[in-house]
Amino acid sequence: MDPIPARAGIGLRIPHHEGVLATLPDAAWFEVHPENYMADEAALAQLEAIRAHYPLSLHAVGLSLGSAEGVDAGHIRRLRRLVDRLQPGWVSDHLSWSLSAGRYLPDLLPLPYTEEALGTVCRNVEQVQEGLGRPLLMENPSTYLRFAAADLSEPEFLSAVARRTGCGVLLDVNNVYVSACNQLTDPVLALAAWFRALPPAAVDEIHLAGHAVVTGPEGDELRIDDHGDRVCDAVWALYEQVLAWRGACPTLIEWDTRLPEFAVLQAEAARAQARLEAAALAGSPARRSAASRLGHAA
Amino acid sequence: MPPESGPMALPLALLQQRMAAALLAADPARQALEETLFAGVRPGAVGLRVHRNTVLGALSHALRQSFVSVDRLVGEAFFDRMAIEYARAAPPAAPQLDVYGAEFPDFIAGFPGTERLPYLEDLARFDWQLDEVARQRGAESAAASGPPGAGLELEEAGVRLDFLPSLRLHRARYAVDRLRDAILAEDTTALEALGAAPAPQAYALWRSAAGVKVQPLSPAAAAFLAEALRGGDGASALAAVAAEVAAAGEAGEAGEPAVVDLLTREILTAGFVRIRTT
Repeated sequence: MDPIPARAGIGLRIPHHEGVLATLPDAAWFEVHPENYMADEAALAQLEAIRAHYPLSLHAVGLSLGSAEGVDAGHIRRLRRLVDRLQPGWVSDHLSWSLSAGRYLPDLLPLPYTEEALGTVCRNVEQVQEGLGRPLLMENPSTYLRFAAADLSEPEFLSAVARRTGCGVLLDVNNVYVSACNQLTDPVLALAAWFRALPPAAVDEIHLAGHAVVTGPEGDELRIDDHGDRVCDAVWALYEQVLAWRGACPTLIEWDTRLPEFAVLQAEAARAQARLEAAALAGSPARRSAASRLGHAA
Repeated sequence: MPPESGPMALPLALLQQRMAAALLAADPARQALEETLFAGVRPGAVGLRVHRNTVLGALSHALRQSFVSVDRLVGEAFFDRMAIEYARAAPPAAPQLDVYGAEFPDFIAGFPGTERLPYLEDLARFDWQLDEVARQRGAESAAASGPPGAGLELEEAGVRLDFLPSLRLHRARYAVDRLRDAILAEDTTALEALGAAPAPQAYALWRSAAGVKVQPLSPAAAAFLAEALRGGDGASALAAVAAEVAAAGEAGEAGEPAVVDLLTREILTAGFVRIRTT
């Protein structure tokens, strides 16, 4: 198992497999959705070949960790098989649900942040961690609605899950921004709530992505987390705040919709990498001093 | 401060069941939940609409990836209509969406508006089978690490035939390989001719290093392969070939190629078989 480095990685999608295998491009690490490889032996064979050259993280979308009916044991077994074969640095999924009454709805559906839901999520996370024999990372989703029944805020809820289960946190900065905008909240204040709820060391990975802005039938503006564009300036600014608080941390560029050429993903990763290096420089007094002498501090 | 739990708090399991039902409902009257369940700055219905679009869009996209020629034939808007109706009637049970849609060919058979496309169901089954074979390992990696495929011994010839694990025998009522080619090439003349009347055809499909291969088979070769893939031995497979040849001869529909000639032409030289001397 190669640990995921505190550098900028790229979300790898199957259309880029052949190009990556042919050219072994400059990339610090890759992350994939394991559900795309559970029934596709051809894609998995390619991924195993790629894995020989790069650290890899598995970012699941199908565990449905918020489902009241529990987690599908078959899905845990399928994920375990992939984990054993690919030896990823991290395995992660979302604070959401998608399975109800035997029906799988392919979306990250929101939870009410109640004590009941907290107990459900913790039970499910513990079951998965036991099944995989390793800790998970849990990601905050983008939200488009808020339930009236809420005992905790989202940061408090995820913090409690991490404390009770020992899982890590995957902080998606774009999701913080999208959720805040959709609730007409200042994204900077929303991010500050995350800083208050979590110790910096609880965050093991950061996600960055682009999103869409759409106008609803009532003329209101909604932001949709479609992973279909470059990271916007406001999210880059929030990311810099996260790095100042957390220090350098593995950061992923995600892109799923209207997948561009691989070079575009590399360029986005380079923008994240530059901020990671700046944060590392700023975070070390010795380096800061050295940089100052070299005239790089300004 | 987050609001306190109110009287509209539902047990989590019930909330999720009702939300799932609302997201999949076709009837607008059943797509909403009580607004008192929500406390955002926008009505809960707005958020539900976003989730409904995501769920149905993702399922339609997954089906479009598997049923490529059906999509091209009927067009994006009509395909979405069929896909969304199917998704509502038969949502997936598991998150591996690349294996979602096995019953879609049955569902679209006779779908209103497709009366002039009698081959649509066969075309969909062919799309599905091609997609399934595409997800198998190629010949090289399968030989290295995959489970073994079917095989049989031809004792009199002193050889054993090992078939690639990805090999499938597919039967259709129309020449679906040529129909698919015509659709993807937008050759409407060929499409009209091929779709005018049934023309039953069997195929061998397998995954090579270069991609999915399709080989039309004579009825006799298909009978041989069917017996082999069912786990039959060499003798029973040869008997199946002989029966097909005899039936074709009696009916006067085909010549009478010798069994050995037929096997050599359609099976022994095919890319889906490895031959070992015994």
